[in-house]
Amino acid sequence: MSVFMDLNVNYTADKSRLQSLIETAAHLGFSTVAINYVFEPTAKKKQEIPSPTPISELMDSLPVVQGRSRPIRVLNRLTIVMSDASHFRPTAVEYRRYDLLAVQPTTEKLFHAACMIYDVDIICISVTEKLPFFFKRAPVNGAIERGLVFEVSYSAAIRDSTMRRYTIANAVCLMETCKGKSVILSSAAEKPLELRGPYDITNLGLLFGLSEGEAKEAVSSTCRSVVLHAETRKTASGIVHTVKSCSQSAPADCEAPPAKRARSQLTE
Amino acid sequence: MVRVKSRYLLCEVNVSDRSRLLLLDDRAVAATVKAAVARIHGDYGAALCSIRFSVKYLNAHTGIVFLRFPKKCYRLLWSALPFITCIETRGQKISCFLNCLHVGGTMRTCQKFLIRYNTQQLHRMLPKCKNEEEKQQVQKAILNCSLTGRNKEAFEEESESEEDEEE
Repeated sequence: MSVFMDLNVNYTADKSRLQSLIETAAHLGFSTVAINYVFEPTAKKKQEIPSPTPISELMDSLPVVQGRSRPIRVLNRLTIVMSDASHFRPTAVEYRRYDLLAVQPTTEKLFHAACMIYDVDIICISVTEKLPFFFKRAPVNGAIERGLVFEVSYSAAIRDSTMRRYTIANAVCLMETCKGKSVILSSAAEKPLELRGPYDITNLGLLFGLSEGEAKEAVSSTCRSVVLHAETRKTASGIVHTVKSCSQSAPADCEAPPAKRARSQLTE
Repeated sequence: MVRVKSRYLLCEVNVSDRSRLLLLDDRAVAATVKAAVARIHGDYGAALCSIRFSVKYLNAHTGIVFLRFPKKCYRLLWSALPFITCIETRGQKISCFLNCLHVGGTMRTCQKFLIRYNTQQLHRMLPKCKNEEEKQQVQKAILNCSLTGRNKEAFEEESESEEDEEE
């Protein structure tokens, strides 16, 4: 059975609205949602990266997913809107607090860098403006090879007719380049009424130039692979996971190569 | 014998305030769907939507709608449904969205699915009950739908009417 995920639900300070968003998502049958914190650095002054609110603080008990007997899984996600290369700091400790890391590049150069170099999970495609650059085959293929995915969010299309045109145009443009692979469809919803059911989204993929199977993958298996990719980002080649322990000086933060780190853990 | 093939979409109308569901009528839903298709797909969509489209069933208590589309173009028409944000009825705007639960070739399969779905809703409702009386009512309803050898329509009516009482 496929499991549906919605990896973009906008964070609002309004707690009750966020709760009803998560409840609606569970009712619609999404088994995982990610709360999205948008961080937009400006050139002038240095801003602090927002820190995520713990899930346990947000909700007392998570609602049960429709059709399953498990409660919904909630992740935290950070989206960095980049207009300059200095906005992404690869070693920042703040990033480690988030489960998923996304960037939204605004220039072609940054898009290329995001696809080929940056250690992120998701590359967002802007849907509220005309595409500032063309997607080239080389970086897109590179990103697919590295396991990154491209995200198209649909709630802007629901709100407004002009946005709808931009969303469809940009999405079709992307699908031409990446041939429907490694794409996720997510909501970016602010209100519970902006969410849509998983089957509706699958069919919406038809408008975005996806085939039936690709569209279904865009809400299920590709999302799962992103979540797994995000989990392995924190570990050494996806095999070894280091945890800081209090009693001994575990090599949690040392910059040893993956192979060495693995051995030191084994001998201890 | 050849019969005309259609697709039936079983949709759920989701609203923030459930009491407003009672204002719905099938003509309003049909007009909203037609307007949405015309908005998204233009004259071509509007033409396709005028062929065999109809609202076959509407349950205002649970917000369940059956939509019939021609089989040939139901995907195109369906792709306009996510863009519905409100239904206008009796001079009031109900902001809502349609969530498709099932696509069937006949009304019969849709009905079967709906019965199962409504039973599932009762099960979901059980842990949310606040007092003992409510709990017993829901339990009784669940028992009623799991009994065999009774008319299927009776099941559906029963499970739905119980659901209304709770919400």
